[in-house]
Amino acid sequence: MKSSALTATFVIVVLAVTGTLLNRLAAPAWSATREKQPALTLDSSVTAAGQGVTLALLGGFRALVADAAWMRMYARWEVRDLPAVETLIRVVSAIDPRPVYFWINGARILAYDLPVWRIEAAGGFERVAGPTQQRIGREQAQLALRHLDAAMAFHPASADLWTERASIELSKLHDLAAAAESFRRAWEQPRAPFYAARLHAELLRRQGRKAEALAWLVQVHPLQPPDPEGGREDVVLQRIRDLERELGVAPERTYQPVR
Amino acid sequence: MNAVPFSFWRALLIAQNTLREAARQKLFLFFLLLALALVVGARWLRDFSFGAPELKFLADCGFGAMAFFGAALAITATAQLFFSEIENRTALTLLAKPVWRAEFILGKFLGLAAVTAIFCAMLTLLLMAVLRWREGELMREFPETFASGGAVSYAMVALGGLLQWLKLAVLVALALLVASFAQTQLFTVVTGFFILVICHLQYLAQDAYARAGSWFAQNIGGALAAVFPNFQLFALADSLNAADAPPALHVVRVVLYAAGYIVAAGALAVYCFRKREI
Amino acid sequence: MSANPSSAPSSLVPALEIRGLLKDFSAGLHGLKLRAVDHLNLSVAPGQIFGLLGPNGSGKSTTIKLLLGLLEPTAGSCAIFGVPSGRVEARREVGYLPEAPYFYRHLSGRELVRFYARMCGMGGAPLEARLDEVLALVGLSAAAERRVGTYSKGMLQRIGLAQALVHDPRLLILDEPTAGVDPVGTAAITALILQLKARGKTVLITSHLLGQIEDICDRVAILDRGKLILEGAVVELIGRTDQQALVVETLPESELAELRAWLAARGRKLEAVETPRNRLDRIFLDRVGRNDA
Repeated sequence: MKSSALTATFVIVVLAVTGTLLNRLAAPAWSATREKQPALTLDSSVTAAGQGVTLALLGGFRALVADAAWMRMYARWEVRDLPAVETLIRVVSAIDPRPVYFWINGARILAYDLPVWRIEAAGGFERVAGPTQQRIGREQAQLALRHLDAAMAFHPASADLWTERASIELSKLHDLAAAAESFRRAWEQPRAPFYAARLHAELLRRQGRKAEALAWLVQVHPLQPPDPEGGREDVVLQRIRDLERELGVAPERTYQPVR
Repeated sequence: MNAVPFSFWRALLIAQNTLREAARQKLFLFFLLLALALVVGARWLRDFSFGAPELKFLADCGFGAMAFFGAALAITATAQLFFSEIENRTALTLLAKPVWRAEFILGKFLGLAAVTAIFCAMLTLLLMAVLRWREGELMREFPETFASGGAVSYAMVALGGLLQWLKLAVLVALALLVASFAQTQLFTVVTGFFILVICHLQYLAQDAYARAGSWFAQNIGGALAAVFPNFQLFALADSLNAADAPPALHVVRVVLYAAGYIVAAGALAVYCFRKREI
Repeated sequence: MSANPSSAPSSLVPALEIRGLLKDFSAGLHGLKLRAVDHLNLSVAPGQIFGLLGPNGSGKSTTIKLLLGLLEPTAGSCAIFGVPSGRVEARREVGYLPEAPYFYRHLSGRELVRFYARMCGMGGAPLEARLDEVLALVGLSAAAERRVGTYSKGMLQRIGLAQALVHDPRLLILDEPTAGVDPVGTAAITALILQLKARGKTVLITSHLLGQIEDICDRVAILDRGKLILEGAVVELIGRTDQQALVVETLPESELAELRAWLAARGRKLEAVETPRNRLDRIFLDRVGRNDA
């Protein structure tokens, strides 16, 4: 007995010493992993999903549990179960906030699908008054934007989240200034799609800020990626020419692309 | 009489025999088939199309199967293949030869590490094939989503498979350490699963103790984090996107971290086993 | 540690030497000890067949495990050809067949013996030649490619002997080699042991079937509850020098009376008149007329 206790103590001490050294070695890798892997949230919405879910989460299967919850959300979406869909969108993001896909599609459902369901539940588009419909649309859009704000806390450098935000601001809130700003922010992020830069200029133009739009397009035009299919008309250059014409830019001061 | 030097060759012979025994056992095939079925079945688990993120779901299923069934295989195969030597008295004949006990432990570890390596390699290859197949289908279905090319970095999938295997190899070494002093197979299996859960969750305990603030609580958390390896560290490549690839130095650090725990647990297993009454 | 084994001429070094060997096992949580081997002293000279006898639980298998370094002695020491048992090199010259062996079932007989031979450092063409030789010696050439899982008990004992012999050790330790084996298998194993003796090998054999091995042992030691209760040459222990047995054809009662009178006239006495009996195993072997299992 005495020798077993001594052996056990020896084993634990050796592992503790080794582990302390190895933890120092792995610290940079762990902090990088940890940044991508936010703390596990076991709030009431998650634990209410059942003991099996909690156990699976504790066992390190959060990605799979989130996938399963997302599929369950889709099943409820098909029968237009509004409270369940709203709850499950939150649950999925709480379980695994890493995939941007969950955040973006959650925001889309909140902004585009749920207003339709609410209006139809209230009597349909023909019976519900226009201002009420607009209010519901705004409420849901604000909900979606808050959802995207939460996403940005986890993914501060995601161009996709900013373009999604811009889309909702544009199509649901008709806020051209806010949408233009969001497209600009999207363009600032790594691996941003070029259309974000183009749409920023387009929304400036629609607000009457044509000089700003022209300056922006001149600035980003050289950064335009080559057309993979080739032969297509350069729409940005075309827009630059339109704006130069509308603004009366002298021919010698027009933009000359570098080839 | 000349001393008998430690022989890596003899350890390899034991490893080869362990691998052959495992491969001919139903347990290995059972876990392998279950995991393969899950990976292939994931393709038909949904009745709607996710679009590109569906590939992430497939990868989650694949790596989930690798983690779950791989851990079950690592623990049960280690316990079974170790105790079968003791209970069937094959260890008697083996250790009655000029064989070091360290060679026996090393051989067992290498054999079991090879078993888990084959398991992870087969699942990773299958996962790659399923992803490639589905990616091709989705690219045809949603060409605009894939305008900038494929969504899957197969190097990341391979790295994910390698990290899963490293985790299982650490688990095998820890289970072998338990088996080296445990009296029963059941004790080894139960303890192995406890270790698995603790290793997955130790970072949470560490966080909780760190938040507790007191010197004593922080040291308890620190000790827990040192004795048990942090299995969440092996989620370094938990993405299909090449842009999320970890720096090579981080991968090297994780490999060394796993190797360090394997060496420590293996050496302790030799220490516990050297006086064990066979 | 013992003296350097190389300092003594090899013919003078005992094949086995046990000095004051003591082994206690813990029997519970309260510090109870079970004494399996109790201050045992033994020495086995090279070239002998030595029988370690005793009932079940007398400490024979424990003694063997201590000799092979598979158990740590509580006190005392043992050495094989002068090398302390705890050292790996002590096992270089030993072949061991455990009681009721159970080998890797997934291997064929040849693969199994090859595996053990490689563990002893053998390899290449000499190994393959030795495999053929040793498989023939134990009578398993025909079954060498079959999986060990399909072997009968007698065949398992014989493949166990093959793995013990494959590296041509000077000492063989056979723990209950005939336990559970039918008379045909027992006869084959007995013949093999005698053949090994003829080749100059030392054989330590344990059995609880005392009568079965008395025919083949040069010396025996009898253990009971871990203690040595008797040791000596078999002929000295079981032979009687004060009596003789004469085997004649059956005599009628009248002639027997005459014989008694003749002996009495010389001051002798006829102690017993018995009918000699054939041993059942001998009858069985004669009837089945084969030596394979």
